[in-house]
Amino acid sequence: MSAVTATRVRRSERAAASWRLSDRLGLGLAWLLGLLFCAIAAAIVIYFLVEGIRYLRPNLLVTNPAAASSESQTGGFLDPLLGTLIIGTMSMAIAVPVGVGIAVWLSEFGRPTGLARVAESAVEMMAGEPSIVLALFGLTLFTLPALGVLTQSTHGVVLGQSFFAAAALLSLVGLPLVVASTREGLQAIPSHVREASYAVGKTKIATTRRVLLPAARPSVLTGTMLGLGRVISDTAIVLLLLGGTLTFQAANSTPLLGLLRGTGDTLTGYIYYNAPTGDGNQPSKAYAAAFVLMLFVLALNLGVDLVVSRSRKAVTWK
Amino acid sequence: MLAVVVAMVAVPAAAGATTLFGSGSSAEQPIMNVLFKAYNKLHKNIRFNYLPDGGNAGVTDVQAGRRLFSINTRPPLPSDAGTTYFKLWLDGLCIAVNPSNSVSNLTIAQTKNIFTGVATNWSQGFGSNLTSTIDPFGRNSTAGLYTFFQQAVLGGSTQSSNVQQEGSDGLVATAVSKDPNGIGYVGIAHTGKGSGVKTLDVNGVPCNQANIKSENYPLFRYAWGVLPTGHPSGAVEKFFDWVRTSKQAGQIINRGGAVAAFNKK
Amino acid sequence: MTEDHFLEPDRDPEFLEGDRGLSQDQRAELGLGALVFVVVGLLVAMLVFVLREAWPSFAHNGLGWFGGGGSVDQQIQSLFNSGQYKTAPNYTFHAWPLIWSTILITFGAVAIAFVTSLFVAVFIVEFAPAWLQRILEPVVRLLASVPSVIYGLAGVLVIVPLIGNHLITQGEKASVTPTIQLSGASLLAAVVILTVMIAPIMIAVFADGLQAVPRGWLEGSLALGINEWRTFWKVAVRTARPVLVAGTVLATARALGEAIMVSMVSGGVPFAPNPVDGLIFFFEPSQPLAATIVRNTEGLSSPALKHTLYAIAAVLLFSSAMLSIIGWAAKQPMRRYGVVP
Repeated sequence: MSAVTATRVRRSERAAASWRLSDRLGLGLAWLLGLLFCAIAAAIVIYFLVEGIRYLRPNLLVTNPAAASSESQTGGFLDPLLGTLIIGTMSMAIAVPVGVGIAVWLSEFGRPTGLARVAESAVEMMAGEPSIVLALFGLTLFTLPALGVLTQSTHGVVLGQSFFAAAALLSLVGLPLVVASTREGLQAIPSHVREASYAVGKTKIATTRRVLLPAARPSVLTGTMLGLGRVISDTAIVLLLLGGTLTFQAANSTPLLGLLRGTGDTLTGYIYYNAPTGDGNQPSKAYAAAFVLMLFVLALNLGVDLVVSRSRKAVTWK
Repeated sequence: MLAVVVAMVAVPAAAGATTLFGSGSSAEQPIMNVLFKAYNKLHKNIRFNYLPDGGNAGVTDVQAGRRLFSINTRPPLPSDAGTTYFKLWLDGLCIAVNPSNSVSNLTIAQTKNIFTGVATNWSQGFGSNLTSTIDPFGRNSTAGLYTFFQQAVLGGSTQSSNVQQEGSDGLVATAVSKDPNGIGYVGIAHTGKGSGVKTLDVNGVPCNQANIKSENYPLFRYAWGVLPTGHPSGAVEKFFDWVRTSKQAGQIINRGGAVAAFNKK
Repeated sequence: MTEDHFLEPDRDPEFLEGDRGLSQDQRAELGLGALVFVVVGLLVAMLVFVLREAWPSFAHNGLGWFGGGGSVDQQIQSLFNSGQYKTAPNYTFHAWPLIWSTILITFGAVAIAFVTSLFVAVFIVEFAPAWLQRILEPVVRLLASVPSVIYGLAGVLVIVPLIGNHLITQGEKASVTPTIQLSGASLLAAVVILTVMIAPIMIAVFADGLQAVPRGWLEGSLALGINEWRTFWKVAVRTARPVLVAGTVLATARALGEAIMVSMVSGGVPFAPNPVDGLIFFFEPSQPLAATIVRNTEGLSSPALKHTLYAIAAVLLFSSAMLSIIGWAAKQPMRRYGVVP
């Protein structure tokens, strides 16, 4: 949602307008619903902020979860926190290049038109896909022997749960947002910019790489952050494809790859497990984790705001 | 940044470490995690990776060779061919009501009547101070706890359609704690001081660890370890033995809210 | 990286002319086109795979899959048990209560959210004072990205007990027991929370679309002496109609696929709520399609139930695909006017 640059006509400059009762009622209703919406939203956000602050202690953020019988010894949620960061980074690392590539192709090339239309529809379809369906698909996809290298295998049978598996499916969740936002950014650039570049003799791809994409960078960033927000809030795919182990369980001792081929957990999985929805029976830690997750989401949204507002201060195309 | 992440994560990658892969009941996962950790302290080269995909899925995993062992909370069935079941510890199913309800005891027959929709009001001879409709809460039909409840209480019939099905014990306990007319069945780990519910005696016997161990409390069940019949993993067999008989494992099981059955004291 | 020899055609590798076999552009087009092809192929593969897994269930039940008959709960249990007790799988399944529940909850939430979101979006774009606008925008975006588990918990801990203990009377409860239980986890709870969940998405999309309406059109109307409310309503909202459709479709797809939150607050019983029941209708429990999948993931180990769950997933996949295509098609008219939402 782009920020409003209100250039509303000042009251004094308008001709005197007449207001019927129905119009006043309509305006009143708009105000009422607007404020009601604020109130409900504030209630939900404040409820979890309060509960979160009540239970959040700094040591929770830096202690690994531990298995123990009493809540005071079960540690914090460092591993799930890192898990969220890892899964977010990995899935966007796939979604952003692929998404920008698709957006560039759709916007600048787009032939044959049949493929372009199918591609557009496919990306739109992905945007509305229930993540539980993606998770089901991922379950069976990653138990195929061909993809065994991305997870672990024991005795020749592929396990099918790992960071790679979850990130692959989550990238499909973030992809449509990156594509849509980048396309918008690219299409907002007036055609005379492109024509000027071609007139100087640059190829289309060079123009894209050197002129258009840098100009559309705010849109790419917006799309990335929106996609990241969706990815870190997802529960269904994480529950089925990440293995749900308390701490990181690396596949082997190779420094990074072993970790990514192994199982772990994210904040959403941790919340699900410890809230009444799961068997962990530690609701206070679940609330603390929910609070941290909401902070992440808030930070991402503020980031989007910042990028958008800074892009408005940038040079316009007039 | 990745380097920071890798450095911060203490991945125990001991040379020659074996990882034993298991799966199964999610209700037993909290206790299993503590047991895994304690066993790892004793045998530093053995690590565990447990996937809580449900008791039934766990058995299928063992049959397919995907996992070395699984934990299940229901007794073996004909479809579990190719696996061997080992009793590990005891657990109990408690009947919980809202603390504002003065009922203190139910017979199995009365519980069955409530959950099959025959009895619908608290005033129908339960000794309750309430005169309102009964709100029963239970588990969904694929849950292991429901299968056990079906066998032990309902005598094989299905629970009535007015039993609201929740996805976990925690949700059942939450629902009962917030509804004055509520009644539900949960594992013993979800009762107790902070849970917001009150447990009932069944056939006059209170639902606690002592009565479950002595098998006086009628609704007791075993947690089973499942191994493949042909070529079971020796390491897992040793682990199961340790869980069953060692004193340390017994303490962990008791503290986790279950009941150690065969462990040395 | 190629050196930058801008305006030096003899040395600029990115210069259009020059004989290098396949030109840079052609290579780029092929490369990117291949990427698009692979991604589309992956999605098609997913569709095909889900349909293939779902086929036994559809084949056995035919169109009756979508109809009523029998208790869904018992059907699921017998599907599950056929794996347990190794009896021959009987794929009988009539999903009507699930489908009806999905329709009620989804369209109920979308209808209420549409009206609310439209008014709120109009409010934010045109009538809210600047300070309120600056607060509302981040709030709307924040709400759109709150994880669904949190909404589900808010529902279970606050909304459901509220409805069950304060809105439903004892008499109403007594009148339906023991067929169903009116405990607060109901149609109303699911619709309310789902509305709060999808409203921010709709508000964001509507606001974007309303802002894209050329200001000149509005100023022209105002200059004619029409008040701001009418102007905005008649000109901007009407122009942005394709965006309204697109936003609604997006929100509907999200509502359709919301599994975890709804499974916690809708009542968990596959029951088809009956409008004839009057007020009680809103308090009746039910279980929509996506929630059914989430509830029964443990049943994936039983082949018969696995095929049935994939069949449900196929129905969801197909519905959201249809919705997305409608949404995409609805956005096209606005492009004609040069107004790109």
